[in-house]
Amino acid sequence: MKHPLDRADIDNAWCPGCGNFGILKLLKEVLTELELDPKNTVIVSGIGQASKTPYYIDTHMFSSLHGRALPVATTLKASNPNLNVIAEGGDGDMYGEGGNHFIHTIRRNPNIVHIVHNNMVYGLTKGQASPTSQKGFETGVQVKGVTSEPFNPISVALALKAGFVSRVNIGNYEHAKTVLKQAFLHKGYALVDIFQPCVVFNKVNTRKWFNSNTHELENDHNSSNLSMAMQKALEDNPIPIGIFYQSESSTFEDNFYGDEKKALFSVSHDFNKLQVLFEEY
Amino acid sequence: MKNINIPFQASIKDPPVSLPKYKKQTANSKAQTINILIGGAAGSGLNILENLLNKAFILNGYFIFSTKEFMSRVRGGSNTVLLRISNQPIQAPCWHVDLFVALDKNALPHVQERLTERTIIIADESDPVMEDKQKNIIPIPMLQTAKNLGDIRYANSYVAGLLFGILTADLNILLKSVISSFSEDTQKENEISMQEGYTYSERLKNLSLPLIPQNSLSPKDNFHLLDGSSAIGFGSLLGGCNMITSYPMSPSTGVLNFMASMSKKFTLLVEQSEDEIAALNMVLGGWFGGARAMTSTSGGGFALMSEAISLSGVSETPAVIYLAQRPGPATGMPTRTEQGDLNLAIHSGHGDFGRIILAPGSLEECLNYAYLAFELADRYQVPVILLSDQYLADSINMIDNVDFTAYEQRRYIVNSDTNYKRYTLNEEGVSPRSVPGLGQGIVGSSSHEHDERGQSTEDYKVREIMVQKRANKLKRMTSEAHAPEIQEKGSIAIIGWGSTKGAIFDTLQSLNDPRLFQVHFVWVHPLNPEHLEVLKQSKMNIIIENNVSGQFADILKGHGVHIDYRILQSNGFPFFTDLLQNELGKIIKDIK
Repeated sequence: MKHPLDRADIDNAWCPGCGNFGILKLLKEVLTELELDPKNTVIVSGIGQASKTPYYIDTHMFSSLHGRALPVATTLKASNPNLNVIAEGGDGDMYGEGGNHFIHTIRRNPNIVHIVHNNMVYGLTKGQASPTSQKGFETGVQVKGVTSEPFNPISVALALKAGFVSRVNIGNYEHAKTVLKQAFLHKGYALVDIFQPCVVFNKVNTRKWFNSNTHELENDHNSSNLSMAMQKALEDNPIPIGIFYQSESSTFEDNFYGDEKKALFSVSHDFNKLQVLFEEY
Repeated sequence: MKNINIPFQASIKDPPVSLPKYKKQTANSKAQTINILIGGAAGSGLNILENLLNKAFILNGYFIFSTKEFMSRVRGGSNTVLLRISNQPIQAPCWHVDLFVALDKNALPHVQERLTERTIIIADESDPVMEDKQKNIIPIPMLQTAKNLGDIRYANSYVAGLLFGILTADLNILLKSVISSFSEDTQKENEISMQEGYTYSERLKNLSLPLIPQNSLSPKDNFHLLDGSSAIGFGSLLGGCNMITSYPMSPSTGVLNFMASMSKKFTLLVEQSEDEIAALNMVLGGWFGGARAMTSTSGGGFALMSEAISLSGVSETPAVIYLAQRPGPATGMPTRTEQGDLNLAIHSGHGDFGRIILAPGSLEECLNYAYLAFELADRYQVPVILLSDQYLADSINMIDNVDFTAYEQRRYIVNSDTNYKRYTLNEEGVSPRSVPGLGQGIVGSSSHEHDERGQSTEDYKVREIMVQKRANKLKRMTSEAHAPEIQEKGSIAIIGWGSTKGAIFDTLQSLNDPRLFQVHFVWVHPLNPEHLEVLKQSKMNIIIENNVSGQFADILKGHGVHIDYRILQSNGFPFFTDLLQNELGKIIKDIK
């Protein structure tokens, strides 16, 4: 199926049946349906299978280093607040290698959408545990099964009072689309953790597993209630999906610019003013 | 997207910018200098005293130079400030001093080796050192005076007044500086304390101190007083810096503080990052979005940036990194100085790519080369490392007036068209850089090996072409590199780089040996072989470096330059001109 946001002449490196295809389609559709201009949209990614996404969609991109998409995305957005900025990568990239940036980007609250493909396994390095792998998950490295507690990005983000905290399952496509749209409409940092199957390396958390072990947050869930959100975030059987928490506050760029948002490429300093300041020395 | 007008737009086809020239320092063979060392604990107000005296002595018509050495602690310990007061410009510290003021009882033992039999020691009358009959010690009632005024910290003002009296400087000038140095509720007490110190100096008129003519400077000499950190800051603003993202680390934090203070007056984003990894990745995000960004760090933090330097290299994203060196390895000595990170700066980052390293050695060079760092990063789309050290960052010196309008502004970014390719191959070897949202095209930047569009590739032919593209940039940077500054031509070259400039200059002035000539490198990487001919032809090359191995000497040797002597030091101190004079003097004495 052709889409106007398809990048021309590409060689897609994902495995047949990979959950990433669904996320790519979802992102293209959401950008189009929200009428976000691709010439004004940038995807910053890290490294890993998920981080290949910007090579396949016709927006601006900065394919950066493993774990480092968030700091790049934060200052990119600050240098030109008119851009739509997306930081995208996998669970190992964003929660493992980039874990420290995850914490501090939430604290800064840049107006970006943070998309994390979460398949609970390392794909590109061929099948090792990821921070979100469940206990007991056996791999070629974790030969006795994972013994560490799985990382819960939702409860961590909530503990940091992230402005928009959500989780979806790509197997529940229309629900995922509704949530991702809300993430783009949210002013401030928005986390969208997306469950997706890895058809090659994760034979436990399969498409079927995600479908039968997740359920949409109930209609009476109050997403402005932080403690209720935290309670839901800690549930794991089944795992709730949807928007756990949403609350807007001033963004990183707001704090810098105030009302006068101007791309930094058009900013130059007044050297006469600099001269006057120098005279004080 | 509409095309947007870019102010000061420039292209790689334009010739390199030229830097404003500053007046050459005049020979100071007739220099008369008094060297005062003041010792006290951290947190006792030494910095305030330093600034106060510097400003007041300049207003009295003296040239000044000051530097400090301090322990890595917030309170206590023993720190010193060295003030050199002269009728000529001074550019480096000395080890031995004429006058020592002990603010507390720990001060004297800390500086014992810097005192000669001629050094006059001034200490409080209650100091246990008074029992030492061997020494040239003068007791003063500074603590009692301060206590009577209600706070022992007024002793600093007492010392300021006393020193002014000893140099027969104008007390009124000192009293005026009280307003800018102290909070309103302590000004009166500080004034009284200064007056008492000044009055007490009447009793010390027969001290055998060097006499310095006052009013060597006239008020129309438009000199400015600043430290190396502030000069780097002003230079960065000249370079159009509008973003700094850093993790605090001594001795680089001075630049971060300076820029933060300027962020109230200019469009300038200042962010303290969670770590140095984030700091440099933020710099790259900034440049990618069209900002002119920098980070500041020291060796340990710079080591963490290594990965992002590599990203800057392959993605051809400009970056400016201010690296203020301190002695390593690892934590080393946080508040001391060294030139030990040159090799780290040259070799940081995996893979093979070009970068530029600039090591200024004076306030003028801090201004010029911080400005140039932004220009070069933008021009060649490479990481540019500004290499300083604790000594240069923290020392205070005088600089001639700066004409800020003499610095050309340039911006090497373009509006993209619909066929735009970020890594276009062209004759110039540098692809025009657009940024997202500027024009009609798509900007694709990549950490992978990539094709012209920025799409990742494993095609070996494309790989070879792109490796060659980046190598060609290095060739171009090398051909546009700055030559070392050569003071006068003799037969024995005295080579230095970075912060040793002033110490070598002052030393050669004192030695006054026509065979010696100074060769000072600011542009330390990549070196243009043509610029090294002078060293290949000189009879003898002596290099002076503040590191244990002679890192730059080895680089020069790699270029076929003979190095005959290495004067090296790695004790955490800068080079002192009097000690350097002895050491260099011994070497050249036997050379025919």
